[in-house]
Amino acid sequence: MRAAETTVRTDVLISGLGTALAGVSGPGALLDPPDTALGTDPVDALRGPGLRYKDRATKLALCAARDALADAGLLGTDGDLTVDGADFGVVVSSNWGNVDTVCDASATIRRSTYKATSPMLLPNTASNVTASWVAITHGLRGANVTLTNGPTSGLDAVHWARTLIAAGRLRRALVIGVEPVNEPVRHLVGDAEPLFDGAVALVAEAADAVRDRGGTPLARIGRYARAGDPARALAAVRDDEDTPPDAWWLPERPLPPATAGTTAPAGVPAYDLSARHGRCSGALGVLQCVAATAELTRTASRSMLATAGQGSTGGGPGEDDAAAALVLHRMPAPAGGGPS
Amino acid sequence: MEPVLVTGVGAVTCHGTGVPALRDAMDRARAVQPDKVPDPWARMELPLMYLVPEPALGTEAGDAPGRATSFAVRAAREALAGAGLAREGLPAGRTAVVLGTCMGAIGDRERDRAPAEQNPPPEQDPPAGPAAPHTWRPDFEVASRLAAELGVTGPVSSTSNACAASGFALATAADMIRCGEADVVVTGGADAYSRIALANFNRLGAVDAHGCRPFAAGRAGTVFGEGAGILVLESAVHAAARRARPLAEIGESGWSCDAGHPTAPEESGEQIVRALREALDRSSVAPGEVGCVIPHGTGTRLNDRVESAALREVFAREAAVPPLYSLKALVGHTGGAAAGLAAVAATLIAGRGSVPPNVPVGAPDPRCDVPLPTARTPLTGTAVLVNAYAFGGNNISLVVREAVAC
Repeated sequence: MRAAETTVRTDVLISGLGTALAGVSGPGALLDPPDTALGTDPVDALRGPGLRYKDRATKLALCAARDALADAGLLGTDGDLTVDGADFGVVVSSNWGNVDTVCDASATIRRSTYKATSPMLLPNTASNVTASWVAITHGLRGANVTLTNGPTSGLDAVHWARTLIAAGRLRRALVIGVEPVNEPVRHLVGDAEPLFDGAVALVAEAADAVRDRGGTPLARIGRYARAGDPARALAAVRDDEDTPPDAWWLPERPLPPATAGTTAPAGVPAYDLSARHGRCSGALGVLQCVAATAELTRTASRSMLATAGQGSTGGGPGEDDAAAALVLHRMPAPAGGGPS
Repeated sequence: MEPVLVTGVGAVTCHGTGVPALRDAMDRARAVQPDKVPDPWARMELPLMYLVPEPALGTEAGDAPGRATSFAVRAAREALAGAGLAREGLPAGRTAVVLGTCMGAIGDRERDRAPAEQNPPPEQDPPAGPAAPHTWRPDFEVASRLAAELGVTGPVSSTSNACAASGFALATAADMIRCGEADVVVTGGADAYSRIALANFNRLGAVDAHGCRPFAAGRAGTVFGEGAGILVLESAVHAAARRARPLAEIGESGWSCDAGHPTAPEESGEQIVRALREALDRSSVAPGEVGCVIPHGTGTRLNDRVESAALREVFAREAAVPPLYSLKALVGHTGGAAAGLAAVAATLIAGRGSVPPNVPVGAPDPRCDVPLPTARTPLTGTAVLVNAYAFGGNNISLVVREAVAC
């Protein structure tokens, strides 16, 4: 399998990060133990019309999106976008997303017929509602994509944002990973382990777009591969790398020992964000990239390897059908100094 | 840039399984009446939909892969057979699946909770909460199961852009080939009956009791249809190497987002025009080279009017807007499958060199003012435009054109 970086025509950089996660103060704190003092629900701080009719996933995504745009320096003091929204897109990854709205609507229809449903809530039954509201809120009129790809969905979303930019369809993309926790999700996923209840976002931009506006790039999005199992995805993404990554961000569940032994470079620190923040599902890949980018900016690390999905492990299609891997690179120090 | 070719097509619609069934229905151009869905919990005023006849809704085996998935698999098998590609002939590591779906497996999930043969009295409380975990079918199951059926375990993607999902899937698939990530992509869309989707449109007063009648003066909403439209896209190099016969070429696409309203289109049509022009410009196709447009045209009042005005603007310098072929009048609004089926129809139109007769839907709406010939007309250009729009203001236009033989 050919890893995707060989084909892109422009560097795509990460220039802003945002989190909406109770107990986490920001991207730099994703590796810290959750701070109970900051345990308030991030959506409590949201203001504006129509909030009553937005589902939890959308509200969480709006919080993370706002923070990522602000971190990138793309919001003015009035909260408006400071760049042209025509070629600014949105890519959202979520597997549970609006399941609460869907279940509520289904129950209402069965209990009281369709007339008891609220027309204001009906748009929320479409799985792309979160990406749509983010676009509406910030005037992002470029490609608007929602992925529901299972465990690899978050890394897929980061990759698709890069591809859309590299293909010239967009100059910028807001990538969001979000999973809500509510009763339908708990019922479906089970309560044997904690669940991630939050959103994370990053701003991806063409290199010249960051440069032209005087923005600060935080990391470069590198190779990506998706394959039937982790070993093949890792092999494809690292096929001409001669130095190990500085950190390995683990898939949702621990890799089988045989696979881990053949693919993990010895001595590489490994981070399991699901162990810290609960089962992340479609949010995981974006969460990994946000946390890894924060690490690249605050340490001397050069590259980060994110992996998601186990491939088919006998659970059957629709549970875990593939594995993905993606590499992030540190930005070179500006001419004349800076950390190396 | 290397062309992206269509080498196989497959279709499942209310007219049956297979492209011949769709082609024959296109030739006949007769409206069919929508079915009343046999779902005891479809507690709504107009439980109408164009259902795929086989298997009848509610008669699927309990361990079946799910209704939308079964449509996708059937259409994909037909498309691959037409392309001359057996499962073992798909290039390992260079084959991808990109599938669009609006409701995914939600319909199966809804009906898992109350089998159709049970017909409870209205006063009986429905089961509380969602389906049990063992019956859970996530949205991406449709793409995942199709990929498993084809032995494709790597680049598999489920695009969830509501009713434009398969348009975005097709464009993404073509981009994958153009940028060298795959040689063969099985792509398109599939959707099946969902109680929630149909109830939503009932609640919005957007279901037409008389059938799907896009651009008609008397239209009163849309009527959903079940179905799948699948295309095998292939790089020209790969197709030539195995001497495949191309059916059409997938040109470029234009993407945009209204960023205005969660359900209604932006009345100015600015972003729809932008997507149309971008598709033409990126494909190096002049408006005068477009011989047919397969519109999104759902039969909802505002959408059809906005799309008509957008088309008039894009073709303003031409003598007339090229003839529209209103596929939804024939198969209903197939949601996430709509653009996939439209691309299949566009492939047939490009290959046959003529635009089939439109299904007569009554007097045209003078506020739409687009040509909908009810007699077969020659295809006067080399390109067919396909439009797909969705909740959230997601807009996409795609170019399908005559293929040059490998």
